[in-house]
Amino acid sequence: MPSKDGFFQKLRARFRARAQDYGMAALEVFLSAAIGFLAGAIALLVLGYDPLRVYEVLFSWGYTDVGYLLLKSTPLIMTAIAFSIPALAGVFNIGGESQLYVGALLGLLVAYYIHNAPLAIIVAILGGAGLGLFIALLRVYRGINEVITAIMVNWIMYWLLAYLVTGPFNNPKLPQQSVPVPKSAQIPMFSVVGVNIAGSFILAVIGALVIYYIVFYTKTGYIMRVSGLSPASAKYAGFSPEKAILTSMLIGGAAAGLGGALLVLGDVHSIDTTLSAVYGLGFTGIGIGLLGRNNPIGIIFAAIFFSGLLIGGQYVELFLNAPPNLSDFLIGVIVIALSIPYAYRFIISWIKRRRMTK
Amino acid sequence: MTEPAVEMLHITKIYPDGVVALRDVNFVVHKGEIHGLLGENGAGKTTLMRILYGEIKPTKGEIIIFGKKVKFRGPWDAIKHGIGMVYQKFTLIPTFTVIENLHLSHLAINPKATVAETRKKAEELMETVGLKVPLDSVVEELPIGVQQRVEIIKTLLRDAKILILDEPTSVLTPIETEELFKTLARLKELGITVIFITHKLKEVKRVTDRITVLRRGRKIDTVETAKVTEVDLARMMVQREIVLKIEKKPAKPGRIALVIGDLWVKDERGIDAVKGVSLELREGEILGIAGVQGNGQRELAEAIAGIRKIYKGRIKLYDKDITHFSTLERYRNGLAYVPDSRVVGLVLDMTLRENVVLTNIYRILGRLGYLDWAKGDEIARKVVEELEVVTPSILTPVKYLSGGNQQKVMVGREIVREPQVFIVAEPTQGLDVGATEFIRKMLIKLRDNGKAILLISTDLDEILQLSDRIAVIYEGRIMAVGKPEEFTLEKLGLLMGGVHAE
Repeated sequence: MPSKDGFFQKLRARFRARAQDYGMAALEVFLSAAIGFLAGAIALLVLGYDPLRVYEVLFSWGYTDVGYLLLKSTPLIMTAIAFSIPALAGVFNIGGESQLYVGALLGLLVAYYIHNAPLAIIVAILGGAGLGLFIALLRVYRGINEVITAIMVNWIMYWLLAYLVTGPFNNPKLPQQSVPVPKSAQIPMFSVVGVNIAGSFILAVIGALVIYYIVFYTKTGYIMRVSGLSPASAKYAGFSPEKAILTSMLIGGAAAGLGGALLVLGDVHSIDTTLSAVYGLGFTGIGIGLLGRNNPIGIIFAAIFFSGLLIGGQYVELFLNAPPNLSDFLIGVIVIALSIPYAYRFIISWIKRRRMTK
Repeated sequence: MTEPAVEMLHITKIYPDGVVALRDVNFVVHKGEIHGLLGENGAGKTTLMRILYGEIKPTKGEIIIFGKKVKFRGPWDAIKHGIGMVYQKFTLIPTFTVIENLHLSHLAINPKATVAETRKKAEELMETVGLKVPLDSVVEELPIGVQQRVEIIKTLLRDAKILILDEPTSVLTPIETEELFKTLARLKELGITVIFITHKLKEVKRVTDRITVLRRGRKIDTVETAKVTEVDLARMMVQREIVLKIEKKPAKPGRIALVIGDLWVKDERGIDAVKGVSLELREGEILGIAGVQGNGQRELAEAIAGIRKIYKGRIKLYDKDITHFSTLERYRNGLAYVPDSRVVGLVLDMTLRENVVLTNIYRILGRLGYLDWAKGDEIARKVVEELEVVTPSILTPVKYLSGGNQQKVMVGREIVREPQVFIVAEPTQGLDVGATEFIRKMLIKLRDNGKAILLISTDLDEILQLSDRIAVIYEGRIMAVGKPEEFTLEKLGLLMGGVHAE
């Protein structure tokens, strides 16, 4: 059994060895957030709002109700992972959106008919995983770009879900929403030192940790990372980059499916017919995955940060009559600013490579 | 006839990393001649031509085209001065038709041209030059030889007066090669100057008027083709003093470790790259595969490692037929492969430890796919110690290591697995003298410990220094196998250039 001391020593050694990388990463994340807020401030000024006041409201209302903040971040953690795990293996999964729909719907139906939360979660995970795998299979065996498939699948699932919650699974008593999750299948909240922590958030954190373990401590995760960084190296080592794509989409889809179930069982308890409860969570997950630098633990924090922005944005709208899309706008700018370092590094390495050959 | 078309004077090219690619090269091509540019890998042929085509700027020297001094900022300037280049890898858009491709490049010099005009011009051109290509076929559906003709027409459409062909026959079948030579003769009649980059002695002897030989960035000589023999050319190409003599005991070859029987392998384009290679490798010997780059070496190595499909032939590792084994199974049965590219062998963004694990993963594997990184640490430390890798830590990403240390990681992680047979490709490419010597001594030590080593290298010095036997590969075939003392440098040069010495 390793002593506590040894563990910290190892951690320190690890940190020192990669300090340059970690430092760069932290700087990038910080800078992109700063650039995002700066650009947001300029836009607000142009629109005639006081940016300081807006940010004051944003932060004071976005992050004060910790219980609510964590509850709202729950599905975002999972959809960010749905984007990031395939990204590690070199696949661009923008299908987290529809993989979440499937999880939400299957979770809801199992909960409604069978009154069993664990079963509902398992079925939702399988549903999401299946959909992710479907996209990956088309990519690997038919050469169809995963982005195109995912966009099409997203729309198919969107309208299918809209049909199902307004039609066959509509709640006759409350026609603006679907059948409900019965009390017995809801995931409860826990009071921890005065804060209501959602059970679903705890499950999401456990999920993220399990996936972190898979990525960094198992052969499967190792092969995915090698394949994503360098498919040629994977082949040289005797691994199959194609298989890594399938696995990563399976895990990513499963994460989004879990996110859908957690959302329905732990938060909204039904799906409204306008789909406002589920729409956009998958897309926001992409930004969170990038901000969390595709690391499941980083993603937990990034999701909480984004979730606060989204909540605070609603209050900004309420109090200051600022445009409702302010938080979306801020998130958008942050995502762009985040991709700039990637672009920057890409350009630098490209120039270096050119110089080497010049 | 002796009026110069191209004069490149005192050309020196030093790359930012200090590598001197060309040293004071004078290269003069007469108008209307076919001029061969001959040399081994790294001799500077391609660099010199890329400078002429404006892709690279020379560090020193001047270029005079048709008597006019020029300074090219990019290929577009070169094109304006009537220079055209046909690369080994074609620059056609595969899903476009021939005429669409021609039109696209025609627009670069004549932005107002319509497709009909391009077509008319192309048809006239095909008539005069005698090159036929189907204008309305999609490029990717055409054979390689026809695609090359499209490339030539493309440059001529831009009124090229000087045509550079980079190893044009390397992708062609013998019949296509004949066709190409006819075309070149026709172009010569039309007064077009052709520069023909090659390492193939027979071809250069057959089609050129004059030949310039480069060796290690220096011009050796420019000669009239009629006045030299293939033997002279081979000597000029490979002659050298051997530096860095490495001490080694005579080899004590043991059991046969690896048998390759009539191996056939295709490259990415589906063209035969390895054509019936048969070799035997014994314990305690280094068998060096000499040859100019692109003669099937990589395909051969990858086929042995199981990365590339074998479509005919057998590979035996001791008593086991491993022809149908997966890569992992081969590695586990005592085969190791060190690839010619560090970008392939290493995942640069990963740590040294993670890279060591790449081919050692089964040794740290626990239940349910769990990876025991503590064991990974041990193996990584062993590699660092045994190979004297200079690194701040085993957790440092390998991209921060020097090329020599990266190479040590690649070789070291195979050594610690203790395999019996090593396939080592270009082990010292791009390394400094110290690292080169270290790696070479390491290979000899492995040999002395009874390992069987197949050394694939385009560096003739390396082959001569290390090999107990040498096999020369040319166009995917083994030209000859023998002890180093059975080969003179001249003979090696001839064989590497595809000529059987009598």
